[in-house]
Amino acid sequence: MVTNIQTTLLGRDVSFPVEESRLAYWLVMMRLIVGWWFLHAGLDKFLAWPFNASWFVGGAAAETTLGPVVTLFADGFLLTFTNIMVPLGQTLIGLGLIVGALTRLAAFFGAFLMTFFYFINGETGGWAHGVITGDLLGLLIFAMIATLGAGRVLGVDAYLAKTSFVRDHPRMRYFIG
Amino acid sequence: MTELTTMERIGLYGGGVLLLIGTVGIGLLEIALGAPHPVTGDGQVVHETLISLGVRSSIILLGLILMAAYGVTNLLSKPPADTSI
Repeated sequence: MVTNIQTTLLGRDVSFPVEESRLAYWLVMMRLIVGWWFLHAGLDKFLAWPFNASWFVGGAAAETTLGPVVTLFADGFLLTFTNIMVPLGQTLIGLGLIVGALTRLAAFFGAFLMTFFYFINGETGGWAHGVITGDLLGLLIFAMIATLGAGRVLGVDAYLAKTSFVRDHPRMRYFIG
Repeated sequence: MTELTTMERIGLYGGGVLLLIGTVGIGLLEIALGAPHPVTGDGQVVHETLISLGVRSSIILLGLILMAAYGVTNLLSKPPADTSI
């Protein structure tokens, strides 16, 4: 089946046809691969516990654009918070994408984390061959998953969307999908 | 697609333009103005910059912040237009 996406961009009609079976296939593929990327990264840190992010938020980040914000998390309570939230966040983001639950929320936090990885890894040597890196592409894929609401294809969000809670709280649709 | 408000245009288009300037635009400029990218004997491209990475980084970051602001204001101001879910 082909659906005509009717839309405008910069005031122009840029409607275009999309073959739905291909779109559904790619949404699931992207979700599973990016989901495993993050789930693996999170589980790795838990399996090798304790995780210490001080080399990243304190050392590597100090001279980068994000340095003034990130170095606040380099010691004390905020470092402990970071040491727990990075692996926990990565694990939950990965799980959310793989099972398609709260997909847009998971993708938002995935993009949020990738922003830090992109600038800090990039400005400490990762941009040696140009500014388009795997971190930026990861960020863009998270944005695409959130935009297209990929969790509704073979995902828990397809079920969550039909619950009375979501029907009664329309803004929840920004978190699922 | 519903009509965008001025704030949405700033977030979506302004953020997108800054992201494109920081990545594609400055990249093209560096190629056009002759910033050298010699390839070493090992096949590695040596990336020498014309515009400092700090400036480029700030432009890209501002673009991403504007796009994120668009998303957050959308969330706070109205439910999504897609009522099929």
